Amino acid sequence: MELISLYPTWFEPNLGSGWVIGIIATFHVLASHTSVGAAMLFAYLSYRSYKEDRPDYLDFVKRYGLFLLVFTYVAGSITGPGIWYSTTVGSPNGIGALIHSFVWKWATEWVFFVIEVVGVYMIVYLVGKVDKKTHMKISLIFGISSLATMVIIIGILSFMMLPGKEQWFAEGGYLNGFYGTNTFVQMGMRVAFMFTMTAVVGGIVVSTIKDAAFKKEMTRKLGWLGIISTLIGAALFQWYITSVPEQALLVMENRLPDYFEPSIMAVLAGTLGYFIVTMIQPRLLVQGFAGAMTIIILVAGLWPEETARESMRKPWVAGQYVYSNQVIGRDVPGMDIESQLPTLEKVGLLKAHPFTPEHLREVNAGNHIQAGEFITMTYCSNCHSPSRTGIRPLHRYFPEGMTQARMEDYIRGVIEPGTIAYMPKMPMTEKEVTALASYLLLNNEGGQEAITAAIDKEIAERKQKALVQESGDGQQQKAAIVSLNTATSQEAN
Amino acid sequence: MDAGNVQHITDMMYALRNPAGVPTYPIVFMTLGVLTFALHIFFVQLMLGTAGVTLVGAFSNRPYWHRLSAAMLEVAKVSVSVAIVIGVAPLLFVQVIYDPQWYTSNVLSADWVIAFILILILAYWSMYFYYFQNAKQQDKNTAPKARWSMILSVILLLVVGYIMHNLTKQMLHPELWQSWYMQNGQMDYSGSKLHASNLWRFGFFISMAIPVAGAMMVTYRRFKMVREDADMDYLDFAAAVGKKWISVGSAIALVFYIGWMMTLPDTAGDFGTSFWGIAGGVALVAYALWAKVRLKDNSPLCSYMALPMAVVAGLVVAITREMLRYGILEGFFGYDFMDYKVVMDWYSTALFFITFAVLGGAVLSYYLTVAWKVGQTKGVYTPSATVDRMGTAAIWILLLWMVQFFAVGFWVWAQ
Repeated sequence: MELISLYPTWFEPNLGSGWVIGIIATFHVLASHTSVGAAMLFAYLSYRSYKEDRPDYLDFVKRYGLFLLVFTYVAGSITGPGIWYSTTVGSPNGIGALIHSFVWKWATEWVFFVIEVVGVYMIVYLVGKVDKKTHMKISLIFGISSLATMVIIIGILSFMMLPGKEQWFAEGGYLNGFYGTNTFVQMGMRVAFMFTMTAVVGGIVVSTIKDAAFKKEMTRKLGWLGIISTLIGAALFQWYITSVPEQALLVMENRLPDYFEPSIMAVLAGTLGYFIVTMIQPRLLVQGFAGAMTIIILVAGLWPEETARESMRKPWVAGQYVYSNQVIGRDVPGMDIESQLPTLEKVGLLKAHPFTPEHLREVNAGNHIQAGEFITMTYCSNCHSPSRTGIRPLHRYFPEGMTQARMEDYIRGVIEPGTIAYMPKMPMTEKEVTALASYLLLNNEGGQEAITAAIDKEIAERKQKALVQESGDGQQQKAAIVSLNTATSQEAN
Repeated sequence: MDAGNVQHITDMMYALRNPAGVPTYPIVFMTLGVLTFALHIFFVQLMLGTAGVTLVGAFSNRPYWHRLSAAMLEVAKVSVSVAIVIGVAPLLFVQVIYDPQWYTSNVLSADWVIAFILILILAYWSMYFYYFQNAKQQDKNTAPKARWSMILSVILLLVVGYIMHNLTKQMLHPELWQSWYMQNGQMDYSGSKLHASNLWRFGFFISMAIPVAGAMMVTYRRFKMVREDADMDYLDFAAAVGKKWISVGSAIALVFYIGWMMTLPDTAGDFGTSFWGIAGGVALVAYALWAKVRLKDNSPLCSYMALPMAVVAGLVVAITREMLRYGILEGFFGYDFMDYKVVMDWYSTALFFITFAVLGGAVLSYYLTVAWKVGQTKGVYTPSATVDRMGTAAIWILLLWMVQFFAVGFWVWAQ
């Protein structure tokens, strides 16, 4: 048996598994970046409070800390493993590749998580219960630990785009996979934008300060933090673009929606404008304004940015060797990993997939649509939904009036060899090409209803055939028994 | 199941393994997985148990119950955070050595896996809502507000527990995966169903929340009794309730445990009567007996030992649980996680253990010492010179860690 490491497929028809992952990840980025930035801000304010004997700074830390504890720490600590959960069901081999290379890095990050969770409660609840010097030390530990969680995860995120160093493919090794230009540039960029988010979300807390002078002071502090970090982040973004593979830039140019660039620019300009306006007129900083800015950053800034990062990696999902459809598409001698493409070329997808049911292992006239559906779900559905809605629906890619022959030619010429830059190679047998073409065609013309009807028909015919065979077997069995009885009685006679 | 079918399932599980291998010996991940699971489930039980005490108190007319309810809500709130963060570790390690089983189980119930995240957030927020509604309530004679939100929180926490229970149980049934992927002759890509549960097993892990909460109440008395403003009548009441919860809760958990061992799948063979099958139940009985004897007179040392002893009993159960998994997957199906391909990486392995022991040890000893002292101090706590130096040392160790992270990184980058 030539089986490869393919898991069952989860198909989410309304959004698509990719967007489910994206939504959870975007929300997590907002929560986690804000938390890490705030942790460092708390360390700074706690230090100033100790040095200048300013209890009001600690009051602010307590307010902001409590706000974060309820919103970002709860949601952040759950959506963090939530990304594991969503990638587990949406891209098991993608997350598996990261886990198996970086398990110790994640385990190390976990030590800092534990410190963070204990630390945030201490920072919030020990204001006024410990002396200022002790609070400063608690905050410093908390700030450095939070930053450590961020720098660790960025090495893993970078590996998703490409291994730190090219040598990783030949030599393997965690260090080669983790550290590289992309790692450090991304680290700088994220740290900068993390402070931007801290300054914006902090505005929600500043807006509740009653003392006008203190409100003005904190608005200005957060404003400067926001302006400087946004400008640095924007500059580092330009550098970041130069650190990604050429293929990624090509994808970025061709695949990203038109609104991507204007949206990012508008958010950057809007964020700077927001900081300037609130610094000049702190009374304008009210909860609604700060809350709206947070949502704008989430929806118009982080969502396109995370979507872009996701799209740019295509056709890979991890380390430039695991395709977005979960197939390993490249040899990695340094890790003793072999491409699965030769196996797929040799036996086809249906025979190589461990979860292909017995009746679909061979394509025949009675299972064409089911086999085509199985191939589509495995090879395509992570990036292209076969439903009307969802992620980049398949029906948008084929014109009306496609024929079976044209569809088969398209599969042989474009899909199988992966001639589109951001598409993986998808080897399959000739029979699988026919089945896939039949399915895509029917899906294009009649949508899910036609597919369901066709599959129901195939299943009914299969059951009918099985019944006939069973009764045929029964007849044969009866005949055998009669003949055996006859032979036995003859022998007895 | 004939031998051919079993062999096919074994081949399938081996094929699903990640070809990148694992960066150190698999037994290390298994050991860490068991240890961290024991801690995780302890905090889950503490969270559920103290949330249960909060609810009982919320519906009681007695002022002592109201006070106890408010105090245990503080524990429940923190325990949710700690349970989540500790839970990250076993979740990581299960993906390393049991990826074929864990990933398949998850994908086949994917909708529930996603729902898990949302339901847990709602459960947590619901608990906080109840807390904020009642945080400023000084009058202990009035009924708390928004009790529905606390009930909702507990129900939602039980739902996420039930989801996790199914995902873990589904791992143990590779013989059924194919049938779950194909419902009524048709492929089911929806991931909309939970497929395997054993209410005895689920009930056991949940019911353990009762003795664990009991141990917390005993410890609570011991911890608070040293304060100048301690109300000993109230604290004695809390400890008495705690001791009752330990004995009654252990008996309930034992019934569920026996039920679990009696309803194991055929693939587990005679695990229920094996050494580890019996050891889990014995640990539970031993804990209840220990509590009965040693906590009778509220002995100061033993009162502090109530929670650690519960962790020890939980650890034995965690080993039993792991042995059951190993027994089914290796014993019946011939899938042995111990033969996972090892691509040794000494640096990252050493870095984790040093970070865990040195950095984690230094920081958490400082943090927990301060938190402990604050809880026992009336007014502002100022640490002694030794405790203060512990804080300074923790900061230096952290800085050193950051320096090595970037130094190694830049060195690799420059190569």
